[in-house]
Amino acid sequence: MPLPVALSLVDVTVSYGARVALDRVSLDVRRGEIVGLLGPNGSGKSSTLAVAAGVLDPAEGSVTVEGRARAADPAAFALRVGLVPQEPAVYDELTAFDNLTLFGELYGLAGADLRRRICRVLSRVKLSDRAGHRVSTFSGGLKQRLNLAAALLHDPPVLLLDEPTAALDPASRDTLFADLTRLRDDGHAVLLTTHHVDEAEGGCDRVAVLEAGRLVACGPPSELLRAKPNDRAVLYGHLRTRPPKYLERAIRRRLGTGARLEITGRRLRLSAGTSEELGRALATLLAEGVELEAYRTPAGAVERALRSGGCGVGGGE
Amino acid sequence: MSNLSLTLALARKDWRLFWADRRAALMGFVVPVVLASAFGTIFHRPRTDATATLPVVVVIEDAGPFTRQVGDELLNSPRLEAKEASRAEAEAAVAERKAVAVVLPIGFERLKAWQPGSTDPRPELLLLHHPNAGAERQWAEGVVSEVVMKRVAREAFGATDGESAPPFKVEAATVSPHPRTQFNSYSHSFCGMTLQYLLFWGMESGLLLLRERRRGVWIRVRAAAVPLSCVIAGKALATAFVALLQVLVTFGVGYAAFGVTVDGSVVGFVLLAIAACGLAAATGLLVAAVGGTEARARSASILLILAVSMLGGLWVPAFLLPSWARDVSLALPTTWAMRGLEAVTWQSGGLTATLPSIAAVAGFALALLAVAALRLKLAERAVRAGKG
Repeated sequence: MPLPVALSLVDVTVSYGARVALDRVSLDVRRGEIVGLLGPNGSGKSSTLAVAAGVLDPAEGSVTVEGRARAADPAAFALRVGLVPQEPAVYDELTAFDNLTLFGELYGLAGADLRRRICRVLSRVKLSDRAGHRVSTFSGGLKQRLNLAAALLHDPPVLLLDEPTAALDPASRDTLFADLTRLRDDGHAVLLTTHHVDEAEGGCDRVAVLEAGRLVACGPPSELLRAKPNDRAVLYGHLRTRPPKYLERAIRRRLGTGARLEITGRRLRLSAGTSEELGRALATLLAEGVELEAYRTPAGAVERALRSGGCGVGGGE
Repeated sequence: MSNLSLTLALARKDWRLFWADRRAALMGFVVPVVLASAFGTIFHRPRTDATATLPVVVVIEDAGPFTRQVGDELLNSPRLEAKEASRAEAEAAVAERKAVAVVLPIGFERLKAWQPGSTDPRPELLLLHHPNAGAERQWAEGVVSEVVMKRVAREAFGATDGESAPPFKVEAATVSPHPRTQFNSYSHSFCGMTLQYLLFWGMESGLLLLRERRRGVWIRVRAAAVPLSCVIAGKALATAFVALLQVLVTFGVGYAAFGVTVDGSVVGFVLLAIAACGLAAATGLLVAAVGGTEARARSASILLILAVSMLGGLWVPAFLLPSWARDVSLALPTTWAMRGLEAVTWQSGGLTATLPSIAAVAGFALALLAVAALRLKLAERAVRAGKG
């Protein structure tokens, strides 16, 4: 039997002046599931999270958390939502403990209960030994873990994470998804945004695809990522190190016109007309000394939405 | 959670952020003390009953005995610090503003034969002075006139020293609104620099709020549904508390090192200090509310704070300002704060004398706070509606 709906967005529209960022988006997130919001930059992922967190008012539609609307009782709504912004939203000048004390106090926690919760979340994100250290001394990964801990202090049923892996290396990314899986298993409803197909496929129970403010697909990754005959074969990978520009140019020349290579930071996307061509392109890549830490080969609606090439998947859930 | 608890939590956060950079925090206490000490030393004049003397160079170009006698009397005058020199030496001393030169030129001796009613051309006496030494010139002219007229009276009427003296006695007395006290440059500078630095601290606190609102961390405050009134109250409380600490430290050092004391109403001083700290907090919130970008807010705030400090008499006493500036400054909170602080320190004013200043400063603080709160409320509403 499915667990109850924790977060519900119904026909939510968000506008920034004349620009419509979200257009009648409806989405439910149940307790015990991780839903990934997938889409290219500007598709409305962050706006969805902001409106779900109650920091942005929808122009139309409604947002409820466990049946409560923010307008009716802002404090009760806030207590049920934990937000993890993309940039670590913590004070660098303060210690991890002082940061958590402040954020706990903002949710009405105090005294021994607050201290106990701080110890618990620090232990959960494996930062207990850094409690008294200033955040300015933390690495990006440690800051992101503290960022998550701050959202967990008041034990909200709904967790919202805005591109939580944007600044993480592959190891930290895996650790984060392991944390999220544990939270999911504890009954939290998790909604996260990403524009990386591999994260959506590997870490989420359901994937909602946004395109230009519209929800164009939603379902289990196994369905959405299934290839269709007319899809191009695609491979997503993580590079061990980014190759120099001259090598990139040389590889592109060797790949010819049939295959296409895109490298952003240490992320790689390789596509070709058929699986065979993709296999040959990958062999060329490896022969040039490019080292991959990991790769996946998704396709289907998600891939089409990410490429903004249009898709035939109906909106809504 | 009550709004009071939220307010205190946010105030504690600002308190921790203030002390997070301890060197910067200490500078916040050291700088006003250093500035006040420097200003106080520059304007300090030691109390003395000794008669002041004017440096004068006497140039005697006429060789006549009458001229020589006038010159000698000038050189021996107890009101002058006079010495004889050539015209070139005299001009050099005047150019450096070291002295005023009295030149008794050739032909001055004719004055010996002067009689009342004489229509003969009058001999000249030259006074050379620096362009910025108008007061010294008038001082020298007064002394020279007295010496010359005494000598002429002796020559023309055979008057003795006693007979040629002025037929009246001059009695000098000081008249001041604070008859028992004397202007204390250190009291003035510690009042002025404390007030000025309170405004700068308010500005820094406002810039911190501006930074916070633009940083991702502020989204947590919004997500936690903290009422804006708590954000404003927390910021105001923390800013005012640190400001009060600055007042205590600055005046503490002023008392220990320079004898700056509250000679008037202590209650008036405390109330005025609280009002001034409230003004600093309101200034900070206004900076955060209307500042725009941090760089723009900083530049505009510094300009404004320096202007109101200067016009409010925080740098130099207000009586040295032109009358139009004194009139304009009545519309500034710094003027009233300075008046009040000076009244309760070196002017020995009572609580009643300070009440108008306390009311004015508190009124300005509340008005600025109201404008800031309204602006912040509108800004938050715009952000929530996706228009910010």
